Amino acid sequence: MDKKRNYYPPRLADRFLEFYCLPERLEQIQGDAYEIFYMDLEERGLAYARFRFIFHVFSFFKWSNIGFSKFMHLKNNNGVMIRSYFKIGWRNILKQKGTTFISVFGLSCAVGCCIVAYLFIANIWFKGLNQPNKDEIYQLVYTTEEVEGPVTYGTVAEPVAELIPDNLNKVKNHTKVLMEFPLLIQDNESYYERSLYVEPSYMEMFQYRMEFGYPGALRETDQVILTHQLSEKLFGDINPIGQELSLVINGEEKLYKVGGVLQDLKDMDMFNFELLVNIESHPYRTTDIPLKDAWSNELWTFIQVGEGAEIDQLESELDVFTQIQNEINPDKPYTKMGLIAYSDIIYNVGKIERGVRDFLGIGPQILLGTIGLFILLLAVFNYINLSVLMASKRLKEIGVRKVIGSKRSQLVFQFLSENLLVCFFAIFLGCLLAGFIFLPGFNDIASKNLQIDLFRDKKIWIFLGAMLLIVTLITGLYPATYLSSFKPIRILKGNQKIGSKSVFTSVLLSFQFILAIISMVAAIAFVQTNHINSNRDWGYSSADKIIVNVPDSKDYVPLRNKLSALSSVIEVSGSQDYVGNWIGEKEVEMGDEKYSINFLSAESNYPELLDLELREGRMFNPDLITDTQESLLVNQTFLDQFGLEFPLDQTVTIDSADYHVIGVVEDFHTTFFKNAIEPMAIRASSDSVFNYLTLKMNPGSAESSMETVKKIWHETVQLGLFEGKLQTEVFENEIADVNGVSKLISFSATLSVILALLGLFGLVSLNMTAHIKDYCIRKVFGANIEDLSKKLLKRYVIIWGIAAVIGSVFSVFFISSFLDSFFAFHSGVGIIPLGFALFILLAVVMTTVASQIWKVIKANPAVILKSE
Amino acid sequence: MKGYHLGELEELVLLIVGILDQEAYGVSVAEEIKNQIGRKVNISAIHTVLNRLEEKGFVKSHMGGATEERGGRRKRLFSLSASGRAAINEVKLVRNRLYDQLPPLALDFSNG
Repeated sequence: MDKKRNYYPPRLADRFLEFYCLPERLEQIQGDAYEIFYMDLEERGLAYARFRFIFHVFSFFKWSNIGFSKFMHLKNNNGVMIRSYFKIGWRNILKQKGTTFISVFGLSCAVGCCIVAYLFIANIWFKGLNQPNKDEIYQLVYTTEEVEGPVTYGTVAEPVAELIPDNLNKVKNHTKVLMEFPLLIQDNESYYERSLYVEPSYMEMFQYRMEFGYPGALRETDQVILTHQLSEKLFGDINPIGQELSLVINGEEKLYKVGGVLQDLKDMDMFNFELLVNIESHPYRTTDIPLKDAWSNELWTFIQVGEGAEIDQLESELDVFTQIQNEINPDKPYTKMGLIAYSDIIYNVGKIERGVRDFLGIGPQILLGTIGLFILLLAVFNYINLSVLMASKRLKEIGVRKVIGSKRSQLVFQFLSENLLVCFFAIFLGCLLAGFIFLPGFNDIASKNLQIDLFRDKKIWIFLGAMLLIVTLITGLYPATYLSSFKPIRILKGNQKIGSKSVFTSVLLSFQFILAIISMVAAIAFVQTNHINSNRDWGYSSADKIIVNVPDSKDYVPLRNKLSALSSVIEVSGSQDYVGNWIGEKEVEMGDEKYSINFLSAESNYPELLDLELREGRMFNPDLITDTQESLLVNQTFLDQFGLEFPLDQTVTIDSADYHVIGVVEDFHTTFFKNAIEPMAIRASSDSVFNYLTLKMNPGSAESSMETVKKIWHETVQLGLFEGKLQTEVFENEIADVNGVSKLISFSATLSVILALLGLFGLVSLNMTAHIKDYCIRKVFGANIEDLSKKLLKRYVIIWGIAAVIGSVFSVFFISSFLDSFFAFHSGVGIIPLGFALFILLAVVMTTVASQIWKVIKANPAVILKSE
Repeated sequence: MKGYHLGELEELVLLIVGILDQEAYGVSVAEEIKNQIGRKVNISAIHTVLNRLEEKGFVKSHMGGATEERGGRRKRLFSLSASGRAAINEVKLVRNRLYDQLPPLALDFSNG
């Protein structure tokens, strides 16, 4: 008999039998199978008995025995049972309002953050995939051999498009797409707008919802289609159909009428553009150009294939174009032409030069994803900890249910259904939070146009569904399996201890603390760096200077003269680029070595006008002819990087002309602190025409003179966009970007601290409620506040200590590289961010514990100890 | 002849159920067949036969006799019904009648 107790038939097979067998046959069949199992066990041993059992289970798998009893059985009372699960769950949630609030609040914040992160990432990866014809559209590309190996280009020679109908079979439609930045003039205001020059068939291949007008408007060469945003910017809320505007390319002005307005694209289109123009009206198209030049012009070409088109077939048909191209342009032969599916374009970013998408921005994706994940983890851990603790009040329920005969799976389902309710609320609230608070804020920071589009975007539903499922399972599985594993007899005897001090809870709590520390360190370090950088010396004086662009060389001299005549202008200097913007690169030769440096040509007074600080040597002297022909000023990095000493004993060769270095200036920031200072040389150029003019103004008059300067500029320059700005504002965009990131990180750090706080508060207060008698007895026996706090605090301070060590190590490694990706100049993760973060967390722990100690102090032991 | 159609195994099982009297259920029937005839029959086949016999009305059954080996599950105990006994009798009669008509072995020689 002993043997029989120890051994059981194989469980899986047994389950399978229960699963398929008709309920009225199950008892006899299972009984017989068991009986034979034990007979076999005695006669032939375990393995044989098991084998026979399995064999029997399968031999009973006959039509007359199969009834899928479980399903049939469940069908009858499934609804009732599920309703009961949710009813009990709902009551439990209502009973525990405080903890439920903590859980739902935390989870919904997390869900909100995750939705923002998801939308941001989806916006990059699913861009353009709402197009109904996406599976039929292909982009033409070609590969060519270059020095560094084969390179694939996303553009093809322009005449290829004309040859498509004759040479490719089963191609329904094709279009050329050319991106330009023409100057758009409307109502005397001018803007540079990103425009796509396309064929009318573009509007058939790609479908857009129209706000005004109709897609066919592009068939007229003098009509353009605007995006919603541009139409609003130019014309406001009115219907702009028929309004006039003109586009300038290479000084050629062309008049157009508005033929249509697209509805808001919500950043979800493959192409970024503000207006669509018929390519026939492009100025290059009207002039007849030689065949060879025509084939050298490259642009994007898309085809839409018809039904039954074979891509391999089409690709081999493309060889015709390769041949023509190689005959006409033998010096730049194509190796092969190919097709890229529209929906694959995103996966080929980086592999294709000059493609539609050439930039993924992995960094921000990782940043947002990490933030979302951090917050989600914090909230999930909160929930797990709290739900395990809360269940300590429901131990009896578990015990009674088990005794009455509910299976473990039913208990698990009970807990999971409660989780499902909580998660459902959390996701619902999360959507609201994201839609009304997080997204508008984020769009503002990131100048994006993200929206939750529940009606059109199917993927957001998939995302939310997956989120619901995953969060429910992650938060629910551990508590559910843990709680349902208790033995009823121990529960009902009152022996079952629930793990308020369990290792698991401590691990989760330390993990939360670590996450909180990391995000705080990130935020504090970022803000600190930002602060230091805002006070950083730019290396020159930016005050009282205005930079003005000169779009056309013929306007340079008149503009310079007119501006110099202004009374508030002290001095004017021209330069090819300006300090505060990217500076062109040049290759220099010194001896046999070649280096790449930033190279700026400017008038000889430019360095002095900019107040660059001279370190050694001298500035340019405008009166010396040699200075305007063969002299260079270099920055300190130039010397440091190439290991040189001033005065240089060699000349510097640029474009096969020799230059002498006559002076060295202190390093100054030509670009934002994101970039390190590059070696740089300034040449006093004898050219009399430059792209930019820098005006040195009377002290304090720069801002007020801006209007006058602009007026003069417009009087002098006929066509063009005034891009004048103060020298102090050259980094404005970058600073705005960095401030945005800083806000984002501070927000997430605050949120993670709040979540950690809430979780901790929940834990401590539940613990306190469970042990209040313990504390009251101590109090009665004369324990003072100090003893009580020590007892309660000890565990949390230890957890804080562990988290502090691990969190600091992690932060030092990760946050430094995180800062590196934003700043070439930062203070790293020093004492200040670490100290602050640890201190804040400790303060949070102390306050939380203190609030509970206060409860004990206020409590009347007599009342509490009397009550049962 | 109005039919008591019984297959070979059906006939066997029916007989064994009759022999076991009140104690016939799947495992005991299989054991008895093994002991009496030395033939191993799969338990699922016995169940099928018993069910079929019950459908034909030759046996009747009730639940009873839980044991520990069965994990507390009851057996379905079978017993012969009146028509079952009639069927056995009928089958036996037919067999006997047929047997009696076998020509004696000795005659073989004359034909040889």
